[in-house]
Amino acid sequence: MDPQLLVIAVGGVVGGVALLARGFGSYREAARITDTSTSRIASIAVGEVLVSGVVEPAEVTLVSPLQSAICVFYRSRIEAGDDERSTVFREEAAVGFRVRDDSGELRVFPRGARFDVPPRFDEGTGALGDSPAGLRLRRGAAYGPGEDREAQIAALLTVHPAGSGLPGEDANRGRFGSGLVGSASRARHYKEARIEPGDVVTVMGRALPFDQLSDPAAADVLDPGSPSADDPEIAADLAFARAAGTLMDPEDAWGNAAIPGFGIGRPVREPDLDEAAVDPPLATADDAARYQRTFAIGPDALILAAAPDAPLTIAIGLPSVAAGRAQRQFFVGLLGAVVAIASAMALAVMLGDGITR
Amino acid sequence: MTPAGMAALFAVGLLIVVVAFVVLATYNAVVALRLRIDKAWANIDVALKQRFDQLPNLVEAVRGVMHWEQQVLTDVATARAAYSPAAAIPEQAATSAATSAAVRSLFAVVERYPEVRSAANVMALQEEIERLEGLIADRRELYNDQVYRHNTRIAQVPAVLVAGLFGWGPRPFFEASEADRVRPETSLEAGS
Repeated sequence: MDPQLLVIAVGGVVGGVALLARGFGSYREAARITDTSTSRIASIAVGEVLVSGVVEPAEVTLVSPLQSAICVFYRSRIEAGDDERSTVFREEAAVGFRVRDDSGELRVFPRGARFDVPPRFDEGTGALGDSPAGLRLRRGAAYGPGEDREAQIAALLTVHPAGSGLPGEDANRGRFGSGLVGSASRARHYKEARIEPGDVVTVMGRALPFDQLSDPAAADVLDPGSPSADDPEIAADLAFARAAGTLMDPEDAWGNAAIPGFGIGRPVREPDLDEAAVDPPLATADDAARYQRTFAIGPDALILAAAPDAPLTIAIGLPSVAAGRAQRQFFVGLLGAVVAIASAMALAVMLGDGITR
Repeated sequence: MTPAGMAALFAVGLLIVVVAFVVLATYNAVVALRLRIDKAWANIDVALKQRFDQLPNLVEAVRGVMHWEQQVLTDVATARAAYSPAAAIPEQAATSAATSAAVRSLFAVVERYPEVRSAANVMALQEEIERLEGLIADRRELYNDQVYRHNTRIAQVPAVLVAGLFGWGPRPFFEASEADRVRPETSLEAGS
């Protein structure tokens, strides 16, 4: 009995059953989308709803790690190796956004959502280890400008010099650690799925009044969290910055914002006031109205958020497109069942041969 | 048991799992559809009730000035009085359509009375009732779409088998009658 064939057969059974299990989930998702009518945003009521519309940014946006695109959701991954790929970087993040249809707009809080977004960027390094076209690693902040037009223009016009991110970076190295990106020693594969402002999305979840959302700040962000101090790459970067004398104390770097409680809750001490500071000018009426619209959500305003009894699904495309994707995954699952059965039969033949010999 | 027997058992088992899943998922999907229809209907009912509550305020607000338009006001009052939350859905659809037509006629007549049209309370009431009319129209569309999906689903395989087993039949649409599609007859001559 060939052990390699045996492994392939066992893998076929396990993989096929796993595909089938995933296909079952997709079948339910497809049924959930196709069986729910699309509500007009202006007339939605509390409860489970399906809306479809164009994404508009809310207070902030994200900058995607691999293509530096302004977005409200990304899922990025870098894999290294030719035959045996290992994930060297993986990050997923989302911020709250609005969905607009022809009748109105609705705020979506993405915490706990399931994102059905196919990759927009799916490329590998070339034969000589050269970076694929379209790879534009993020070199600045992970958060981008919000809806503020002036901030968007300023961000667009800002020139980011190559290697201006972390100390010690060069033009071909991103924030993903020493030599991980752009090195010719190992082939890399880059994959990034995103939802950008202007994309059409289908959102299915529970509509509820904003004041019933228990923790709006937490519900508004799906963040991988602060980088761990145990991360060897971060530790190396910190050591490098410390040695170069560029590592600043939090108070030097952030000023009063470094005071615990300054952002949320109550500061633990009086802030240091700058005598030379001048009062900022008051916002114009137009600006005030825009800020009010951006940052203030009425307590009775309906929003979409994940609930224990109604999961939040955010899929790119119209409902029919999202359901089509889920149905295709179900058929792949059925194919997995066929593979599992075929593999089981092959396994039986092999074991039978082994026993009879 | 021989390995071949185990493989055959595995294949049959997997097939049973797939069939059982499809049956269970279909049952759950149809139950969810029926509940969504109930919810969509409840949402229409809320809007109908709100309109029912608002109409007397509007009639009272304009009655004093519109002495010569008693017929329009009577039509609105009659249509409102016909509202019965316990009635069957097609009857409620007919009543709702008649009420909408009467309200549209009233709004058309109000346009001929600048002193009424510009009164703050009339404007606010008219705005609110127009909002409710829009809400009812949207929710009726949603309800009918949900009913369409349900009726289509239970007529197709595999749900048709499950529906037959549990005695699930098609649900009625909240259909707009012909009266709802007729534009109100209005004259441009004042007082006519």
